[in-house]
Amino acid sequence: MEVLLYSLRKLLAGIPLVLGVTLISFLLIVYFGPDKTYELVGKNPTAEQIAEVRSQLGYDRPFVTRYMEYLREIVTLDFGSSESTDEKVSSILARTIPVSLLLALPGFILGNALGVLLALVAAYFRGGLVDKLIMGSAAVGMSVSYLIAIIGFQILLSSADGLDLFPVRGWDTSTPLAYIQHVTVPTLATVFVALGYNTRFYRAVIVEEMTRDHVRTARAFGIPPAKIFYRNILKNSMVPIVTRVVFSIPLIVISGSLLLESYFGIPGIGKVSYDAIITGDQPVLKAVVALTAILFVVAQLLTDICYRLVDPRVSLGASTR
Amino acid sequence: MNAAAEAMQRRHGDSLWNKAWRKFRHDRVGVVALLVVCAYAIVALGVVLGWWATGWADISGPKWAPLSSEHWLGTNIIGQDIFSRAVYSTRTAFEVGLIVALGATFIGAVLGAIAGFFSATWIDEAVIWLMGVLDSVPFILLVAAIAYSLQDSPWAMHIAMIATFWIGTARLVRGEVIKLKGQEFVESAHAIGLGRMTIIFRHILPNTFHVLLVQATLSFVAAIKSEVILSFLGLGVKDGMSWGLMISESTFEVLAGYFNNFIAASVLMFGLVMAFNMFSDALQDALDPRTVK
Amino acid sequence: MPAPLLEVNNLVVEFSTDAGVVRAVDDVSFSVAAGETVGLVGESGCGKTVTGLALLGLVPTPPGRLASGSIRLDGQELAGLDDSSWRSVRGRKVAMIFQEPMTALNPVFRIGNQMIDVLRQHQRITRRQARAAAIEMLAKVGIPAPDKRIQEYPHQLSGGMRQRVMIAMALSCSPRLLVADEPTTALDVTTQAQVLEQMVRLQQEFGMSMILITHDMGVVAQSCSKAMVMYSGRVVEQAPVTELFARPRHPYTGGLLASIPRIREQRIPELPVIEGTVPDPLNLPEGCRFADRCNKVRDYCRLAQPELKPIGRADSKVACYVPD
Repeated sequence: MEVLLYSLRKLLAGIPLVLGVTLISFLLIVYFGPDKTYELVGKNPTAEQIAEVRSQLGYDRPFVTRYMEYLREIVTLDFGSSESTDEKVSSILARTIPVSLLLALPGFILGNALGVLLALVAAYFRGGLVDKLIMGSAAVGMSVSYLIAIIGFQILLSSADGLDLFPVRGWDTSTPLAYIQHVTVPTLATVFVALGYNTRFYRAVIVEEMTRDHVRTARAFGIPPAKIFYRNILKNSMVPIVTRVVFSIPLIVISGSLLLESYFGIPGIGKVSYDAIITGDQPVLKAVVALTAILFVVAQLLTDICYRLVDPRVSLGASTR
Repeated sequence: MNAAAEAMQRRHGDSLWNKAWRKFRHDRVGVVALLVVCAYAIVALGVVLGWWATGWADISGPKWAPLSSEHWLGTNIIGQDIFSRAVYSTRTAFEVGLIVALGATFIGAVLGAIAGFFSATWIDEAVIWLMGVLDSVPFILLVAAIAYSLQDSPWAMHIAMIATFWIGTARLVRGEVIKLKGQEFVESAHAIGLGRMTIIFRHILPNTFHVLLVQATLSFVAAIKSEVILSFLGLGVKDGMSWGLMISESTFEVLAGYFNNFIAASVLMFGLVMAFNMFSDALQDALDPRTVK
Repeated sequence: MPAPLLEVNNLVVEFSTDAGVVRAVDDVSFSVAAGETVGLVGESGCGKTVTGLALLGLVPTPPGRLASGSIRLDGQELAGLDDSSWRSVRGRKVAMIFQEPMTALNPVFRIGNQMIDVLRQHQRITRRQARAAAIEMLAKVGIPAPDKRIQEYPHQLSGGMRQRVMIAMALSCSPRLLVADEPTTALDVTTQAQVLEQMVRLQQEFGMSMILITHDMGVVAQSCSKAMVMYSGRVVEQAPVTELFARPRHPYTGGLLASIPRIREQRIPELPVIEGTVPDPLNLPEGCRFADRCNKVRDYCRLAQPELKPIGRADSKVACYVPD
């Protein structure tokens, strides 16, 4: 009950944020977006024909009316149909989001799990050779562009000049083997690029927790290192770690895979967004931007609830921190 | 320990900047990184002044020529000299990096300082709201949306990066300013009747300069890295040449076994980004009063 | 005279910094008898906390290290122990409580669990027994409704309560020696007196020895039998408390005592302060480290460091060429 009330309050607090994001996307994509009139009218249009098309497109209505119309579309999740394929936007989303999840999840999970693991090792050997080695590699990894990593792994693993183990591009989830074959190269590239940042971030968090007073207290009472590590360091590190993980979820669902999917030609939400950008497919763009924003608000809510589970100091009853 | 550190500070009796410079000079990695960045900057400057890489667009050589004394790194599919193009792109990288870093740092400093100074008022709330909103729009979609509404302007990429990158700077500056505004020198500025804007921009903001410097280096690196991805997606550099455009060119070449474009652009870019990252790290260490080795 | 419980000889602790090696503790020797309370006094940064940490092998390493010296507790040499041997000493033979009760407890565990952890680390008892023992200890340190409090998280307790929990935790395994580092400094004034009184009472009840690290001469007067004054990493004076207050031998001790406000005595125009600053630990003078601030300084004071030597009839020692 307490959690439910808290969630509701948090959702309400997210409304200004959603309004802001929808306003920006409305302004950029719809209001100041390209004028579609001349694509739709025939050759040598009469003034009446132009006016009619403009009225169909809603260009003659006032700003507020058009914005409210956009909000109505978001609330009802009815974004109309894609301008290029005539498929309903809702069905496009239903078709492509699962693909994006299957593509992004392995890299996301591995990138964070390995990041925490390496960070723990580096923090444990803080200042030593192992630490320097791990953090040096992280610095190298951070300096490699995502695109370069993708192409690099593709040359190494998928081309005739490399090991030629995996398909060059495309997507197939008909069998587990096909899935693994198609997901490996994108996953490796993602992990390679994310690992440096993750390791650095998690190491900083863990080192900070290692230097807390209560760690010294525990040592002063003869508590063994393994127990201190788990109960004093790891448990207290969970809040920032969880925050980072949850906040990257909206990105991987909607736009994190945009580059990956358009490069490998994978029919996920990222590819759809990319095509919509290139062709100027308004209904799809509107839907994607609005949904990401809403996901962000939900992610914030989730982190707040996670805080409560991890840290007893955070009270759900109290106002926001 | 604290007394020791204080005593040391007292002995030298100097400012954050002298101390930071001394610390930085002893950081061998940081110094080497700075030298590398300077070398790149000279290359970029030479391009601007027309000293070299002037023939980057000439279609002079044969298709996919191998390395030779004439074409040091070979040629691309239409016979352009890859070395010239890679060198020319250094200029583009600095252009993008500097414009974005300066723009983002400036906006971040101004809005962050104003929000911090007026913390817990509606002004602060408004800035926080704006940061939250822009944070919630995925970066690539924001670029796309801006490019879309600017009708393919060559500045869409810069504007979109600035619109996103100022947020991190503003958050940090806001925090710093909230800390600073309770301090005595600010109170005395109030007491002698200085205007609020004078206090914010003449007295408080200069004290956050160390934050701004580090943030500017981070924005610079982020801009160069984002350029590659955006150019590949057709949302980046519109005219001229860039590492991102070279790598996009190379995406089909590499599958045919021609790696020169890819390697030239990747290695040059990696070198600059890595050096800048290391420089930024060393700078952060040097400016952090807490780090005691 | 029985052998003392703790005997520290020529202890040296060094920290390496960017600018060079700093000796935080320089050639410190002292002993603590069983059941005795010794005060360790000095300004912040004089090395008193590091001395306390060294007694539990808790000097942060790196950058710090125990460079030389011996620490004998109950006949066992502690200097140079490996980490697992130290663990059997910490909490069981020597316990320590810290200045900052707000941050010294793990915020994400109930205080009961933290106490039970310590108890079960050093004694072969069941969880239930440990819990009962923890409740009993909490009651002993004056925490009302301990069976309820034990369920709470640190942030739900006041500063004074948290420090009592720390004391309860420290006493729970009946250590021979308690090192208390400014245990009351962070508390408000009324709580300070209560907590201090409680500590002294419990120390007598448990018959353990205590080293009380403080900058407050009032605290020393109230609870210690013997006191050591540290300055710039060295012990400059060591004496029974009555003797120290009646006749401070070292000019620095005299200065410390003079700077305590005396409420009942006649009004003085201004509280005397010790002029000057502590020497730079990286750039120590060759002679007496207090010379620059001393009002009795002689030329020869600056030539060589004075040794800590016995003085007077009582068990007093002072490191000064011109003692009072």
